Amino acid sequence: MSLNILVVDDSRMMRSVLIRTLQISGLPVGEVHEATNGQEGLDQLSKHWIDLALVDINMPVMDGETMIDHMRANPLTKETPVVVISTESSPERVEMLKKKSSGFVHKPFTPEVVKETIERITGVNHESGV
Amino acid sequence: MQLTVGIAEMKVSKGAEDLIITHALGSCLGITAYDPMTRVGGMLHAMLPQGSLNADKAVENPYMFVDTGFPRLLEACLRSGAAKNRLIVTVAGGAAMKSNGGGDDFFQIGKRNIVMLRKTLWAEGIMLKASDVGGGFARTLTIEIGTGEVVTRTGTNSTVLLPAKNSVPA
Repeated sequence: MSLNILVVDDSRMMRSVLIRTLQISGLPVGEVHEATNGQEGLDQLSKHWIDLALVDINMPVMDGETMIDHMRANPLTKETPVVVISTESSPERVEMLKKKSSGFVHKPFTPEVVKETIERITGVNHESGV
Repeated sequence: MQLTVGIAEMKVSKGAEDLIITHALGSCLGITAYDPMTRVGGMLHAMLPQGSLNADKAVENPYMFVDTGFPRLLEACLRSGAAKNRLIVTVAGGAAMKSNGGGDDFFQIGKRNIVMLRKTLWAEGIMLKASDVGGGFARTLTIEIGTGEVVTRTGTNSTVLLPAKNSVPA
């Protein structure tokens, strides 16, 4: 089993860091698709089978929260796990984003936190080989 | 056999009965690497973050520095039969010791050591499995080669960073 992952962030460097994290994580990663905002993210979701989306919140054109709302309203993507990766620090906002998603990773993050969050959500574990 | 790693030293073993130990990890880092399949493990005791702080010393003894010592720990493990993609890396130490150049840890050596290790691991494409770092106290670090168990001790307290794996690989 391999995971197809969508990385949505307007920062090219942040997308690169996340993709590198996926590469060294040991997780069985299949296709990795990129998007620079929520609208591009939805477009990618309509074109590819995605097992997990890593989504920033503050982005131009369409923010991550709106993207997640659209995903949840679409029968094809309403169950797709989403990990929010954001600098958001307001406890109320973080709590609300956690309710809308499967996990929340605060920027700046360590690669281990991203890996552990993905393992927890997907049940896919490098060591178990599942 | 017990193998003691002194300050700015490294040791690697594939002897199932061996225990590698280092003492007095203050702001220094004790870094272990272990392949649970071939049961090859090693430990580095690095004092300072980067070799460029003293290029001559880095050539004379690369184990003194995190950025020059860790790649050599990696190489030594691989030469002894470990595989890079199986290596489990842990770290201990990096404390804010008040004896370091002033009363308030002015140079923040411990913190800088940890940052440099993270940079080095990132460049090598290796993730950190477990850590026991920070605080203001010294630690002792051990790794059992036969089981892969990694333990830190401070005073009478001990913390298992990596539990023993008892199953014998095929």
